[in-house]
Order: sequence, then C-alpha cells, then structure tokens
Amino acid sequence: MPYHQFECSECIPERLHHAVDKNPGEQLTDALPLGYLNTIPGTISERGCAYCGAKHVIGTPMKDVIHLSHGPVGCTYDTWQTKRYISDNGNFQLKYTFASNMKEAHIVFGAGGMLKKNILEAFHAFPNIRRMSIYQTCASALIGDDIEATAKEVMEEMPDVTIFVCNSPGFAGPSQSGGHHKINLAWLSQMVGTAEPEIFSKYVINYVGEYNIQGDQEVMRDYFYRMGIQILSTFTGNTYFDDLRAMHHAQLNVLECARSAEYICDELRVRYGIPRMDIDGFGFEGISDSLLKIGYFFGIEDKAREIIEEETARWRPELDWYAARLKGVRVCLWPGGSKLWHWAHLLHKEIGVDVVSVYTKFGHQGDMEKGISRCEPGALAIDDPNELETIEAMYKLKPDVIFTGKRPGEVAKKIRVPYLNVHGYHNGPYKGYEGWVRLARDIYNAVYSPIHQLALLDISKDEIPTGMGFETRQTLSDIGLGDEIKNSTELRQCTSPYDPIPRLREKLNTKGAYLFPDPETGVLREVPTERLWKNKVVGTKQ
Amino acid sequence: MDKQTIEEKMAQLEWYISKHCLWQYNSRGWDREIQNERILGKTKQLLCGEKAVEDNGYTDRYYWSEAMTLVYEFKRYFPWLAETSKEDITVIFQKLKEKMDYTMIKGSLNVELLKESY
Repeated sequence: MPYHQFECSECIPERLHHAVDKNPGEQLTDALPLGYLNTIPGTISERGCAYCGAKHVIGTPMKDVIHLSHGPVGCTYDTWQTKRYISDNGNFQLKYTFASNMKEAHIVFGAGGMLKKNILEAFHAFPNIRRMSIYQTCASALIGDDIEATAKEVMEEMPDVTIFVCNSPGFAGPSQSGGHHKINLAWLSQMVGTAEPEIFSKYVINYVGEYNIQGDQEVMRDYFYRMGIQILSTFTGNTYFDDLRAMHHAQLNVLECARSAEYICDELRVRYGIPRMDIDGFGFEGISDSLLKIGYFFGIEDKAREIIEEETARWRPELDWYAARLKGVRVCLWPGGSKLWHWAHLLHKEIGVDVVSVYTKFGHQGDMEKGISRCEPGALAIDDPNELETIEAMYKLKPDVIFTGKRPGEVAKKIRVPYLNVHGYHNGPYKGYEGWVRLARDIYNAVYSPIHQLALLDISKDEIPTGMGFETRQTLSDIGLGDEIKNSTELRQCTSPYDPIPRLREKLNTKGAYLFPDPETGVLREVPTERLWKNKVVGTKQ
Repeated sequence: MDKQTIEEKMAQLEWYISKHCLWQYNSRGWDREIQNERILGKTKQLLCGEKAVEDNGYTDRYYWSEAMTLVYEFKRYFPWLAETSKEDITVIFQKLKEKMDYTMIKGSLNVELLKESY
C-alpha cells in the first residue's frame, strides 16, 4: 500500500504521507495516511476550525436552546439556514442565530459586561426558551473573558435558566475534530447528571453521534420505538437540552458517528458503566446488523427481525432497480468524516458503484483504518486534501460522480463532474432502508442527468450533435441493460415521497402505533403521545 | 484441518470483520485489546455451543450481543462453520485473535492508539 505522490504537491514533501493507494493483498500495517495533524503551511486545507466543530456540528442541533457565540458576528453566520439539522418542533435552532458581536473596543477593554447584556437580551426576546449554550471564539479566548463567571451571574439572577459554556476557540485543534472532542467532554463534565428523567420503557438508550440531517434521527426513532425502546437523548440531533443532562440513566449508548461523539460514549462507559455500541444506520445490511445487535442486547431480537423483514421487502425491489443501472459507476467518496466508512462497502455491495477514492477532511487515522478496510482495492485514500490534489485526483480517476460537501462539490462541477451533497444531503434523509433508496435515486439522477451529458461537451472544440432525439435518464441508463432487468415486473423506481418525515411525525400521534414494555412489569402498553415527542424531566439541579 | 486450511478459514473470518465490524476500531490500543479479547472470545464460545455469559451486567451483555450478531453473520457467510469441529474452531479463533491483535494494535501505524486517555 504505497504512499501516493500528487504531482501538484511535490513541492510540499510532508503531504506524501497523507495519501495511500490501496493495492490488492496489502494490509493496514503496510501504509496508513497520517491524520488529525496541523495543516501544513503552503497547502490550502478545506477544514473547519475547532469552534465550528463544537458549535456548528454538535451544539446547534439541540432544538430548545439559544446558541450564542461570544465573538465577532461572522463566526456564527454559517449556522443560519446553511445546515439541515432539522427538528420536529419548529426549527428554532435553524431560524435564529445569536452572537455577542465583539468589536475592537471589546478586545481592548473586555467583553464580559457586553456578553451579560447579550445573554439577558436574548432570554428576554425569547421568553419560552430557558436554555442557552455559549461558545467561545478565538477573539474571546485570546482576551481571556471568563464566560463561566458571566453565565453563573446570570443563572443566579434568573433561576429558571440554565447555561452551558463551551470553551473551544477556533485555534484549539487541527480541525473541527478538536472541537468535537472539547464539547463532548465539556458537556459530560458540566451537564450530564444534572437532570432526572422519567423512564417509560424497560429498554433505554442514548442515541449518540446523530444530528438529524434532513430527518435521519426521526427515521431511526421510528425503528427504535417499534422495538419498544425509549430514546433518553440523542446527542445531539432533534434533542432537548435537558434530555442530554440525563444521559447517565441509559442502559446502552448506541453510537453512530464515532468521529464526532465517541468521546462522550467512552467517558460514559468509564464513569457510569454504560456500554458503547457502534452501529451503521446506512445501507440495508448495515442497519439490519445494527438493529439485530441492539435487539440481542435487550433480548428483543425478534422485534428487530420483524422490522428488517418488513423494510427489506418494502424497499429492496427499489434499491435493486437502481443497483442494476449503477453497476460500475465510479464514485469518489469524499465526505467530512464518518460517511467514508459508513458507506464505503455498502455503496459497492448494495448500490453497485465502484468507490475509486475515499477522503476525509478532519478524520483521524482510525477513520482511515475503517475506510480503507471497507473500500475495494484500487481506491485512493487521502487525508485532508487540498483543492489542487482533489482536482488532480478527479482528472486521474475519472469519477462519474463525487459525494462531498458543497464547497468541494462546486469545484467538481467546474470540471464537469456532478456531485452529491453528502453533508446536508440532496434529497435526504439517507438513513434507514427508505433513505438508502433515496440515496441510490440521487446518485442515479446525478449520473444520468441529460443536462449533465450536455455539460460534458466543450462548445469551443467538440462537435455538437444535432440529430439526437429526446433523451431521458432512463434512455441513457438502460443502454446495454439486459431485457430481464428492463422488463422486470419486480423491480421499480423509488416511490418514497418528496418528504417522508411528516408521515413519521404523524405516526407519533397515532394511537397504538408504538408499544413499550413497562420498566417494572415488562407488560406492553401505550405511553402518552407527548412522551414520544418529548421525554419528561422530573428534576434538575444547576 | 491442516495448517493451510486453517489459515484460509481464518482469513475469511478476518475479511468479514474488517469489512463489517466497527467494534475493532476503538481509538485506543488498550481498548482494542479488550474488544478483541471479549468479542472474539465469546464468538468462539457460542460457535462451540457454550453459553458465553459471565454476569448480568450491561457490559457483558454488550460483548455478548456483538458476539451473537457475529455468529449469526458468520453462519450466513461461511456455511463451512457448521461442519467444523470445536477443536478446529478453537484453533482458527486463536489464529484470528493473533492476527487481529497484530493488524489492529501491535503492528498498527495508527499513532493515536498509544494515547492513554480518551
């Protein structure tokens, strides 16, 4: 598994050990890209900062919270409507963003007083919101503002509010991953153990490392509820602040994105004895295995099997319709962190595409171990690529589509490679069985778009065909496809609606849709609808 | 079962784990040692018809759940396991544990494994 030398990075020798070609028969012990290191001077990284990792990734999905950045207003802008971390109660966390708006005068004379004024103003403007997270930024960290002292002062004056302080300035780590670490441990130390929940089921989990991108959490919530499992908290998508204060009462931490949230699981394991179970919420096989092992843990594997059988029967014919048409399509799997390993093997096995490259912007070497193990030989694995390297990789590997974020995605489009947004998604949710079919449909639409075929022509030199008839995606995708596939009466295109989430929310209000075993007796019974939307907190302490 | 066959069978199981099992990738070396020991140990016990339960605690229950899932998938992927003797399964799993300890811990190039705390 030799290290890969990018021509464009020959002038930056340190970059050599950040990329590896996975060759047949080679092992992880032969070569592994370096990872989670400071960006090398001279290379232009596409990473976010540690503040971004703490606030934008992990903090802001909490839905009943004023998220306030103590710093210049620019730091917080990206939270405002640019993420798709939705919630089921009005999207307060997306509609509003708060900053203390530090200026030069505050840098010189201090910003503590101004911060307190901001906190009070925000609470008064939103009297129904009684929880706040304050995020330190580079500016407030450098002048040494004591945010905790200010928060304490406010909590003494306003006993009904609770404030969490996250000290993770932008420079506190090589990338956003440093911020993930900091907020995980800060939450555990400051907040876990300060609320007591009402337990309504015999089976209780925390669902960790899940951010409800376009409704992912709500898809998984449906599966867990169907198994009779109470979700005490989700760290942190579509969750309430106080739920996360009660994490210590779970029997199991079900961990999805280990990159962003393994720290809190590991510490909950050490401090409270709650086991950590890593799962894959994507792909038919991934999610089936995951539901099954959660089922084994609680002794309800029959419930898991029911869901697996029902969902597979419902969605497999649709997945296979796309898989038949996407066989051999070349893709670069270039997400931020965890999807490189959540998806690498199942994209190939279940959707038929060939993953020719994996990269991570902020992953650690452990993420690369997973990604390289799961992708097929021949793939190029890159840590923290710069823009020139990604362009060189695309020219060399000739992918049909890139799975990445919107910034590198726009670069890909400029060289006529379509991209799918796998951070905020194109038409998610992508989790669950239905979600995996939605992803396959989005890949299909990207690769076989007739508009994209036109983009492949260069009007300055290519001959422009004039005698072509009308084209559709299917006329393009079905060229060379066998009749047994084309004429199959079993396979069908995606029937998932434009937005599948309202259906799941409606189900929460449907009498008898979910049954939970009583914590004491184990007898199955309904719980009040409002509990399915929001756990009841029976006590809190500051 | 001869040595070469044992190596081949072991390689098949290792391939499955490397592709499908996230439990082997915990981020500290000492943690991976425990994961390998407990989950592979219980998987072997279950395949040999043993109960593989040490106590009623959540921790043991977790390792058992991972092992039960692995047994289920191993039997699905590798039908030869049903016809393999307990003695051979024991030898194959010894080799598998050694190989995984080397690939994921002792021979790993992941420098983060050496950090003590989370």
